Amino acid sequence: MAGLATDPFGFAPAIAVFPLVAFVVALLFGEHLPKKGALPGIIATAGSLAISLVMFVAVGGGKTHHATLYEWTNGAAQSATGVETIAFSFGILIDPLSALMLVIVSLVALLVHVFSLGYMNAEGETGLPRYYAELGLFTFSMLAFVFADNLLMAFMFFELVGLCSYLLIGFWFRTKSAPSAAKKAFLVTRFGDYFFLIGVVAIAATFGTVGFAGEESFVTAAETAIDNEATLFGFDAQTWVTITGLLVLGGVLGKSAQFPFHTWLPDAMEGPTTVSALIHAATMVAAGVYLVARMFGYYALSPTALAIIAFVGGFTALFAATMGVVKDDVKQVLAYSTISQYGYMMLGLGVGGYVAGVFHLMNHAFFKALLFLGAGAVIILMHHEQDMWEMGGLKDKAPVTYYTFLAGALALAGIVPFSGFWSKDEVLFDALIVGLEQPVILAAYAMGLIAVFFTGVYTFRMVFLTFHGEPRSETAEDPHPVGWAVKAPLIVLGVLAALTGLVNMAPVAHVLGVDITFLEFWLDGEYGAVEGLTYHEYSETVAFGESYVGSETVTMLLSAGLSLGLALAGAFTAHTLYNVPEPDRHMTKLGGAYGLLRRNYYQDEYQVWLAEGLTLPLARAADRFDQTVIDGVVNGTSTISLFGSDRLKRIQTGIVTNYAALLVGGFIGLLLVLGYIGGWFA
Amino acid sequence: MAVLELPDWTALAPALILAGTALVLFLLDSINPRSTNRSLLAGTAVVGSLASLAVAVWYTAAGVGATGIENHGVIDIMGGQFIVDQLALYFMIIIAVVTALVTVASYDYLRDHTYQAEYYSLVVLAATGMSTMAASNSLVTIFIALELTSLPSYALVAILKDNRGSVEAGLKYFLIGALSSAIFVYGVSLVYGATGSLQLEAIADGLGGAGEMGGLLGLGILMLIGGIAFKTASVPFHFWAPEAYEGAPAPISAFLSSASKAAGFVLAFRVFATAFPLEATTAIIGVDWTLAFVILAIVTMTVGNFAAATQENVKRMLAYSSIGHAGYVLIGLAALSADGGELVMGAAMMHLLVYGFMNTGAFLFVGLAEYWGVGRTFEDYNGLSEQAPFACAAMAVFMFSLAGIPLFGGFWSKYLLYTATIDAAADNAILLVLAAALVVNSALSLYYYSRLVKALWIEDPVTDRDQLAKPTGLYAAIIAAAVITVLILPAFGPIADAATEAAAAIIV
Repeated sequence: MAGLATDPFGFAPAIAVFPLVAFVVALLFGEHLPKKGALPGIIATAGSLAISLVMFVAVGGGKTHHATLYEWTNGAAQSATGVETIAFSFGILIDPLSALMLVIVSLVALLVHVFSLGYMNAEGETGLPRYYAELGLFTFSMLAFVFADNLLMAFMFFELVGLCSYLLIGFWFRTKSAPSAAKKAFLVTRFGDYFFLIGVVAIAATFGTVGFAGEESFVTAAETAIDNEATLFGFDAQTWVTITGLLVLGGVLGKSAQFPFHTWLPDAMEGPTTVSALIHAATMVAAGVYLVARMFGYYALSPTALAIIAFVGGFTALFAATMGVVKDDVKQVLAYSTISQYGYMMLGLGVGGYVAGVFHLMNHAFFKALLFLGAGAVIILMHHEQDMWEMGGLKDKAPVTYYTFLAGALALAGIVPFSGFWSKDEVLFDALIVGLEQPVILAAYAMGLIAVFFTGVYTFRMVFLTFHGEPRSETAEDPHPVGWAVKAPLIVLGVLAALTGLVNMAPVAHVLGVDITFLEFWLDGEYGAVEGLTYHEYSETVAFGESYVGSETVTMLLSAGLSLGLALAGAFTAHTLYNVPEPDRHMTKLGGAYGLLRRNYYQDEYQVWLAEGLTLPLARAADRFDQTVIDGVVNGTSTISLFGSDRLKRIQTGIVTNYAALLVGGFIGLLLVLGYIGGWFA
Repeated sequence: MAVLELPDWTALAPALILAGTALVLFLLDSINPRSTNRSLLAGTAVVGSLASLAVAVWYTAAGVGATGIENHGVIDIMGGQFIVDQLALYFMIIIAVVTALVTVASYDYLRDHTYQAEYYSLVVLAATGMSTMAASNSLVTIFIALELTSLPSYALVAILKDNRGSVEAGLKYFLIGALSSAIFVYGVSLVYGATGSLQLEAIADGLGGAGEMGGLLGLGILMLIGGIAFKTASVPFHFWAPEAYEGAPAPISAFLSSASKAAGFVLAFRVFATAFPLEATTAIIGVDWTLAFVILAIVTMTVGNFAAATQENVKRMLAYSSIGHAGYVLIGLAALSADGGELVMGAAMMHLLVYGFMNTGAFLFVGLAEYWGVGRTFEDYNGLSEQAPFACAAMAVFMFSLAGIPLFGGFWSKYLLYTATIDAAADNAILLVLAAALVVNSALSLYYYSRLVKALWIEDPVTDRDQLAKPTGLYAAIIAAAVITVLILPAFGPIADAATEAAAAIIV
């Protein structure tokens, strides 16, 4: 315990190790444990949460931690910037960003483990040890990803969480749809990760380091290279940073389900709802956005990359929100909502709003986990019915579920004072002030703003269809009760969804002129930070100009008013259409647009076409090349060799006079060759 | 060191001990001509060869042949007719090891044989010849040693008097051997005619006087190459090998293909490095003699490996494989013209040492199969691993090592040979062709080596077999060879250094 007294960071590895132990225990002994492995998981995540909180407090006390745990290889390899050696290691970086994320991840993981008692154990699922083992492995990987101090380690755990996602989506592997969805998720994210891997290699080869922080980091190296106007791989340094940044962004877009790699996430809802809450809403999907925030200093060097991030984010926010409006399955609505919300975070980060992006990431983690768990509770109530048109009127029968769900919905829609309002408003404000200078960003802002309206519509359509009106099926009239294992996590998250926005009320701070933007201070290193990884240093690097409508305060209020107005308008639309005893399917009246939205803009179709129409023929051609040319050469070689062997063998006739003749003949041949060259016969 | 006080002639002790052992065996034979006391006879031969090995190792450790104040330097005997240096000791070790393995294995192989004493004395006599060959430093002593090796070998191949294959092989071996000896001795006379000397250093000194007789000297050198090619079973002097190895008792095949071949190579290394320094010789005969070895190396490894690929008879396959390996080792001589040639030659010598274990082991396994009487073809070997897993595991080690698969000695020696050749190729581009031929042939060799492993371990037996016996001597020899093939890895550094030093010592 000496370590605890002097330096709490000595325990940092345990944050990830606890769930790893839970994984092993659940895998080996889960079948024999009460609750089939849930208890080790709960204890482990509670332990992780406790240590994460200790870290959080320590960082708040002005300390940070950056240490290499294990160097698994190093060697001499000259990089493009002239670094002579390169080392690959596992290390821990605990700064304000990772400390915050560790708390979020371990908290949500703990709540999901508890909720699983009600959702999985109480419902008599089989294969529970496998479920808890995979959850443990996921939690381990995600936490290790969060505190990774270098890009390669981050990549490795990024892949591991992808694997866990695959395993958990396919948890009900006996059904037809789950394995298929799991494969889709795996392949689509893998496609993005392929670029990520190339990006990691490119960064390592360019700068001779993959570290995130400190003098030895690739961020610093890139900055130096740009200052020196170096030429890297035939590009000027700035362009090369953009290229490598965009390669890494491939992994980010895949993992955070951004356009055009978003198609896997709605299908991933085939997994248990708890998994959707933990992995496909609060944490793993956040890994992409987190990675951008983690290496924000690098992206900040490239305005092009930032603009692309912002535009993709804004577009995805709107694009996904429109699709969410027409879905009937409660989890589908939430899935599209998740895609849309991650679009906002990307928009925020892309315009240089590091605090806004991280703020929304945090709020979203809580309110979306809440909504998914709430949906899980509804699914228990409804005996595993997920179609909202079969529900209705659950408000009175399950008040805890209803009010917590409502809190989440208000946060999601961005209604003041719930958390989502504050962060979404900050994202949009940051986008607006940059957008006034940059038309591309303004377009991204506009899309984000319009999406606010659609968010309001689909959120409250979901709330009203599920909880309000008259019950539209027998199960809705007589729902299955839910226990405390379900309610407790909902209440915790409900409180958080309502309150977390208060930590960074930027408009209030401006109007009243008080210092209450605590998250900004936190991320800006007012309490403690690793040098170079702070908000204002990022802001200095980002090359975007900003301007205001009138003064800063006026712009801020205008932006807040606009987004709140649109959110309320959306909510009101939903209220008018659906908050009636017998709601109609109003969306079908949209005609062609309805079909387009129901079919998800034919995104799946075109991706299937890409696979079947383009990739498959290419693969066939490659296969044919392999079968004929390559195999032909290989087989030909062996045929010729064996034929040659057969012939050569026959020299050995068994008759000794032949041997003597051949021997002398061979000797004379050698003599002639050497004699001719040496001129012996002259 | 005690060696310092010993008279110079004792430096030849490894060979002399073998000679003495042969005489002891003759003595035993004349006391009791019909003796079938196998333990006594085989034991004497084993003890003799182990003593020879021990002395050779001791001399190497004590620094005989090595330069430096601590060491004893190169020892000349009989006015330079014999020389004991690191090269000589290195090959004496190889020969003694193989002799020991072969005599141990023969104990079981010859269980019902009539001519026990004759057999062992002939083996030890041939070993004496080989050991002497390693130290010979004059064309006269070389020829005598060569014949001392060859004559017992002919008799040994034909020793299974009732076996038609054995007798026929012996006769063929003898006829080709006689022809080759004639060519060799004619070459000796031409070299003598051109340079006026038979002692190797003296030949080198006399090259200047050859002047006008370039063609004559060139022909002489070529004929010497012929004689050596016979001993090392290199194409086109290899015709005796497949049949002699197939017809001879398996331990004798092992003996001839490992020890006798090594002796042939030490001869080649010494004669060409000492007597015919490249530049001086090229100036007179007008052509770089390494060219002959380049051609021989490529042709030998290609013929050996290609002919081995489709053999049905395991022993014959091994015979051709042994021809292929001679081709690899010839690279050591072919690369002498380039900078870094001594490294290539060191690698070649290294390969000969490893080869001494893996090839002897492989032939002894065939001997074991003959002892069991399971048959001679690949098919007959099917599924032997069920009855004799240890021996078959050892055989798999030999096969993979011969093919040059990592983790076994054969991989490292072949790899060293390859990298040294590539390095030397910077100086002489033709070596790239050799390196390529080495790779292509090794790849092909994997085909037939793994075919045998597949037969042993994967295929099902064609016929039902009874329980197979476990003859102690054969097993001991095979397992020892396998263990050394694997264990040679950790010792590779020092052994490779020793080989390279030995090679560097003779290259002036």
